[in-house]
Amino acid sequence: MKSFDYLVADGIDPALRAYDADENLQLKAGGIDLIDLMNNRIAAPDAVLTIGGVDELAYIREEDDGVRIGCNTTLADLARSDLIASQFPGLHHAVAGAATPQVRERATLGGNLCQRPRCWYFRSRQFHCLKKHGHMCYAVEGENRYHAIFGDGPCHIVHPSNAAPPLVALDAAFVLRTRDNERTVASSDFFVMPDRALWTENVLEPGEILTEVYIPKAPSQSATIELREKQSYDWPLAICAVARLDGRWRVVLGAVAPVPWVSEPAMAVLGDRDITGALAAQAGEAAVEGAKPMRDNAYKLQLVKVAVKRALMTAAAMEVPQ
Amino acid sequence: MSEQPWREDNRVALENDAPRLDVIEKVTGKARYTTDYYPQNMIWAGYIRCPFGKAVVSSSNLDAARGISGVLEVELTKTDGRYHGDRLGHVCAESRAAMEQAIAALDLQFDVQDPVTDAGRAKTPLDQIESPDNHEQARQVLEQGEVIHEATYETQVQTHCCLEPHGALVDVRDDAVTAWGSTQGTFGFRDDLAQTLGVRQDQVEFHCEYVGGGFGSKFGAGAEGTLAAEMSQKYKRPCRVVLNRAEEQTDTGNRPGSHQYMKLAVSPDGKIQGGRIHTWGHVGPSGGGGGAANPSRYNFGTIARSHEDVHLNAGFPRAMRAPGHPQGMFAVSMMLEELAERLDMDPLQFRIKNDPDQVRQQMYRVGAELIGWDRRQPNGAGTGVMRAGFGIGATDWGNSAGRATVDVNVFRDGTVEVLSGSQDIGMGFRTMLCDCVASQLGVPREQLRVKVGVSTYPPGPASGGSVTSRFVAPKALGAAEQAKQAVLQLVADEWGVENPASLSIEGGVISDGQQTMPWSEACKLISDDRLHFSVSRDGRHRGVTTSSQGVQFVEVQVDTETGIVRCKRVVAIQEMGRPVNRNTAENQITGAVIQGMSFALFENRLLDRPTGAMVNPNMQMYKIAGPVDVPEIIPVIWKSEAEAGVNSLGEPPVVATPGAIGCAVYNAIGAPVRRMPITPDRVLEAIARGPAGGDA
Repeated sequence: MKSFDYLVADGIDPALRAYDADENLQLKAGGIDLIDLMNNRIAAPDAVLTIGGVDELAYIREEDDGVRIGCNTTLADLARSDLIASQFPGLHHAVAGAATPQVRERATLGGNLCQRPRCWYFRSRQFHCLKKHGHMCYAVEGENRYHAIFGDGPCHIVHPSNAAPPLVALDAAFVLRTRDNERTVASSDFFVMPDRALWTENVLEPGEILTEVYIPKAPSQSATIELREKQSYDWPLAICAVARLDGRWRVVLGAVAPVPWVSEPAMAVLGDRDITGALAAQAGEAAVEGAKPMRDNAYKLQLVKVAVKRALMTAAAMEVPQ
Repeated sequence: MSEQPWREDNRVALENDAPRLDVIEKVTGKARYTTDYYPQNMIWAGYIRCPFGKAVVSSSNLDAARGISGVLEVELTKTDGRYHGDRLGHVCAESRAAMEQAIAALDLQFDVQDPVTDAGRAKTPLDQIESPDNHEQARQVLEQGEVIHEATYETQVQTHCCLEPHGALVDVRDDAVTAWGSTQGTFGFRDDLAQTLGVRQDQVEFHCEYVGGGFGSKFGAGAEGTLAAEMSQKYKRPCRVVLNRAEEQTDTGNRPGSHQYMKLAVSPDGKIQGGRIHTWGHVGPSGGGGGAANPSRYNFGTIARSHEDVHLNAGFPRAMRAPGHPQGMFAVSMMLEELAERLDMDPLQFRIKNDPDQVRQQMYRVGAELIGWDRRQPNGAGTGVMRAGFGIGATDWGNSAGRATVDVNVFRDGTVEVLSGSQDIGMGFRTMLCDCVASQLGVPREQLRVKVGVSTYPPGPASGGSVTSRFVAPKALGAAEQAKQAVLQLVADEWGVENPASLSIEGGVISDGQQTMPWSEACKLISDDRLHFSVSRDGRHRGVTTSSQGVQFVEVQVDTETGIVRCKRVVAIQEMGRPVNRNTAENQITGAVIQGMSFALFENRLLDRPTGAMVNPNMQMYKIAGPVDVPEIIPVIWKSEAEAGVNSLGEPPVVATPGAIGCAVYNAIGAPVRRMPITPDRVLEAIARGPAGGDA
């Protein structure tokens, strides 16, 4: 790790001012992802600005028009929240099972949404890949068992956030602030595909901080299924988050595309119908439409089908194999 | 369950049930490992490494690296790298930051060449392998055999993943060297340092009081100790070399991968008659070490056996907990399972029929009851999405004698000091010594101070081949016995009792049946500074020679829609001669089961095919079982029938687990997965392929 200056923000406004003043400042919240990147010299900032201690950004608030979650809320605090557990079981499942207990106590919701991809070529200094301003995606010819089956590249990462699929399924919105402005973007618009932006995974502009996640309404039904090789400290092979809002189903896949993947084909199958086992399976089949697996990850097609089916059945309080 | 005598008799017949002796030091961080020492004026050194499988340095910026403030030297000693992690040179600097900056500033550019990464393609085809001498006999067995079964199994590379990385800290002064190292051999490390530095053995004081795992990868000073010694000698300052995780994953050795071809004939009533076995080991760019223990442990009849090591542009094998055995027994167990299926026999009965060992014969019956073997359905007969499967594995280990010396000092304040230079790599060596001496003396543990892992202490073995306890315990018991007799003699003299043998010590109190004296009072009778005993012979404490047999039964659950395997329960029956401390003995068993399970289901060194780089040189994407993956493990300490001494325990339990899991998965899905790790994609493939299997 390279030496760096460490700036500690004691409030969001000073943080935004400092962040605005120096575009080379590297933002840090819990530091889980950043420290890893710095240790591997994928990130080598001269200065790091931490907002990890800014308590005013750590909250879960139920208001008249929905639920607001500060970006500094830890995954562990979300997992401990009765409100989240009772009204947003899909989100709760995802954050409560992420990483390890120790990581969840440090990892923030904002950090989870903004973390960089886990692709091993991106994480290795030796591979000057597209994401690092290089000219090729090494996963195409290389080891791609955990890579994307949707999206057509040119970069084949999967988005690493566990919290993102359920939040997109809930049609959450993200509040982004700069020193002088505040904007709210739909969660599905926050994440960007590599054909639009290679060097980042979201729409954040320089000087801009994701400060709040806003969930307008509780779903009548929701669930998330994550299929993992290991049951401790592992990134899922496939995720499906579903939520029923105003009667209509939303289906979002994770770990299979560079962004949380809104599955229009599955949603078209489901419409506003009540779930049966057959319908859930049919939605699962539809969900892999358009997938283009790479050499080693065709097994993910089957996992997607199962994840979608089980997520829908779980949301509908039907029994699923466990 | 009260009808199970082994529970009463074999599980609990232990000397001691006390906690691990150094548990407080270890969980509070008081225990100091090599990496925890930062002497004043220390310098840092590390290696410059090749990041690809096969690559030649095309450019470097030595001047820039040497120009970094705090850098003492930067040397490139070769330009062609033969595996990811290959050492091309070294850096020595005033600080870690300077060392790392120098490596970055060196800006090595490589001409990357096509590496050999795929052993399946690189291996010599079977039909081109030279036939073993007894090829003709084996051919006849196969020709005349009524039931023939043929399959090839594949196992992956497993890395050691020691929690404490390899490392050393060496401080060379004018005529004395003090050093710390993470090692499983105190004296081997000391000898290597002495040789590197050109000093006498007695001039090196080497320390490894605490070691965070070795598993076979930490014999000798290694590249780390050698560099630290050379730099310390050169700069006359303490020098530290401690590897980072990526270095640990690529260049500290591994359990080599294998392909194992087996073609066996079996009689219709279930006796294996013989056949052909050929194994390929996946080794480094040169050298060997890829052997797999196949066949082993069962009667195989007439086997024509051959082996080839396949050279890859990848890190070298190094001994790893029962080298060759877990991978060998994966193939053996799976083959037995497939043969039983061919014969429509219960695999338990098939094993009983072909296993020559009488102790394991008993263990099969006990284990079957403990796991609930009667719940097992025929292969693939389960219904529903989640299917249970049951499997069996077997193991054994030898118990030859060996050299060691243990010193026991009894001080006038009652303190009993126990000394052995051998190291505690995490198995509980301190605890074992303590409980041997305390139980033999009849004094409470609190009186004892057990000191291990320093080269000035009495000699003892390196921890390899599961010898540490077996070599050292008899001497500890012998020294304790001498100490006890000496103290009883003093008390007998004081009391005017003629025969000291009529005195006893229990719970730290000496008694002749009428009067009593506490241990601490008795020790005041010592007229010299201390009583000193040094024992190097086994004597009667070695016991009857036996072997450490073991059998494991596992239950898995397979999600047949996703291919995800969960290991649910493992009954691990293990003989170890005389068990000393239940906690550490059970810990050895459960630790081995976890390591074997993790090998069977998760761990895999993945090489980037185009460049030979290991893409998962970390403990995130190199997947190791975590707490939730760990099954219910029921360790059963099997009491030997013979009056055995303290026997092998470290390695044998890891041998049985992977094969047992493979069999259980086969049982659950009705199709063999012949490749480890047994990952969801492979399980799904096997289900799609169906019962006949087909080569990996």
